[in-house]
Amino acid sequence: MRKTFRSRKLAIYGGMLLGFVMLESPMILVANQIEPMVMGIPFLLLWSLGWWAFLTALFLVAYLTHWGSSRSAPSARPRVEEAAS
Amino acid sequence: MTGSILIIAAFMIIPLIVGVVSSRQSQDTSEDFFVQGRAMGSIAVFFTVAATWWSAFAFLGSNATFYTSGPVYLTALAWNLLFGFMYYWIGKRVWFLGKRFDYLTPSDLMGDFYNSEALRVLVAVITLVFTVPYLQIQLTGGAYLIEVASGGVVPFWLAALLFYFIIIVYVWIGGIRAIAWTDVIYGALLFFGMMFAGYYISGQVGGPAAMFAQLQQSSPAHLTLPGPNGNMGYSMWFSLFVIVAIGAFMGPQIWLRMYSVKSGRLFNLMPFLLGFAALAYFGSVLTGYTGVLLEPGLENADQILPVMLMNYAPYLLASLIMAAGAAAAMSTANSQIHAVSTVVTMDIYQRYVNRRATQARIVTVGRLSLVGFSLAAYIMALTVPGLLVTIGIAALAGTAQLIVPTLGAITWRRAHPMAAFWGLIGGVASVLVLTYGASVSNPLGLHAGIWGLLVNGGLFVGLSLLLERRDPEVVERFAEARRDYDAEFHPERLEDEGHAAGEAVSTR
Repeated sequence: MRKTFRSRKLAIYGGMLLGFVMLESPMILVANQIEPMVMGIPFLLLWSLGWWAFLTALFLVAYLTHWGSSRSAPSARPRVEEAAS
Repeated sequence: MTGSILIIAAFMIIPLIVGVVSSRQSQDTSEDFFVQGRAMGSIAVFFTVAATWWSAFAFLGSNATFYTSGPVYLTALAWNLLFGFMYYWIGKRVWFLGKRFDYLTPSDLMGDFYNSEALRVLVAVITLVFTVPYLQIQLTGGAYLIEVASGGVVPFWLAALLFYFIIIVYVWIGGIRAIAWTDVIYGALLFFGMMFAGYYISGQVGGPAAMFAQLQQSSPAHLTLPGPNGNMGYSMWFSLFVIVAIGAFMGPQIWLRMYSVKSGRLFNLMPFLLGFAALAYFGSVLTGYTGVLLEPGLENADQILPVMLMNYAPYLLASLIMAAGAAAAMSTANSQIHAVSTVVTMDIYQRYVNRRATQARIVTVGRLSLVGFSLAAYIMALTVPGLLVTIGIAALAGTAQLIVPTLGAITWRRAHPMAAFWGLIGGVASVLVLTYGASVSNPLGLHAGIWGLLVNGGLFVGLSLLLERRDPEVVERFAEARRDYDAEFHPERLEDEGHAAGEAVSTR
């Protein structure tokens, strides 16, 4: 079970790292071109939108999988939300 | 013109009504006025965070940057994602600690963890000093829109004054609850306003594809880094990504929106929602680039969107979209005014002036400081010139420095108060020297804020490793809180630790 969580987290955070590297490392200079245009959109814009879409989708997956964490486990102390109410 | 003014005026009356309605649910306590009793629901949280985070900087500044400097503002797609991720990873931890130890301001968390009054004051000063210029650009942006919409009938100074009068009234009445409720309306209007303006305006030259094709012929430098002026290359691309996301995230207005949240689970969803909302920047791409084709040589680039709307869109549509622009400015300004008043009231007045102040007195002081800071921002808007984005980034570079001691407080037992204090001093000094020092240029072309973070981080880590904390009880109190956080949200981590401890024992 621990391995499942670990690999899930690794996939989420690894994917995030890949996406941010593609958008913000000097890799962006490779994409810094007008051609090829796809559907009339310049390549730099297309590259940015593509990786943005990838990361946004990954954040949705992360939410659905509780960011790779186990959702329910017995807490050592009362939950903050319960303690506060 | 009169119709436009009436639409904007009607739109600005909405928050006054919301303020009155929300005040019926308010209690006269500081916790209710400043963080809505830590019970803000999911819809309000998303819209108030998004609308606060998106400002005149985004609504007007993005169009202006595409118009003058080419594609560097595309890095906003990534900084929105980074902001969303920080809201989850850092924000959730700050929320947890805030709820457990009753924090209301950034200084509360820093002062408590580092057990240092000097640091508490320093954090409050940085928060105040660097938030006011950012507040100034909201006022400037909103006033531009009203000035252009009225064809100059309402002058800039009067537009700005009206703008702030309305904010003061409804924040005074309803506190953060009124802000959150109005932000739901403003946030939606802002998103659709940016998108629709872009699609409509680019339609004037045959749609997005035709617009890009024409731009490729007439000004191809607008479509690649470093842009037509040659000064917005990779260094600025990366600098903006880091400074805007971190600087805005560390603003006191966002801190309050971490403390106010009712359920920790909401933080898990925010990266997706905030990331998705960045799609609206595609509208700014279209508006800014179409402006290059249709309105080249505009003197004040920040006015490109309102000018394009007035010249090319039907009257009603132009007015509605400009109202969305005013929403962008107002939804950030209201949150900032409210946040700085919280800092003044809780970190300065209650702590150092009147420790035994009643709840009603604290709220009154909070309301009075709303007026004081609004006035400061108003005077700056009239007297300090500059492009919205330029002023905004300088202010964000200052607040960004708070990320270093914040990360220390939520993750590191060894984080030392002296390291946090001198790290902040070094970081802020670097920002100021590189920004305002006439004879100093930024090494490698990176923004002053990046160098500030490097100096700050280096001092923080180095001094923390050298020095030993002498208050183990405070360190242990936070370590226990962090363990409880893991037990509640990441129980597998504790299992990992237990497993590792078990393996260590069996090895012996």
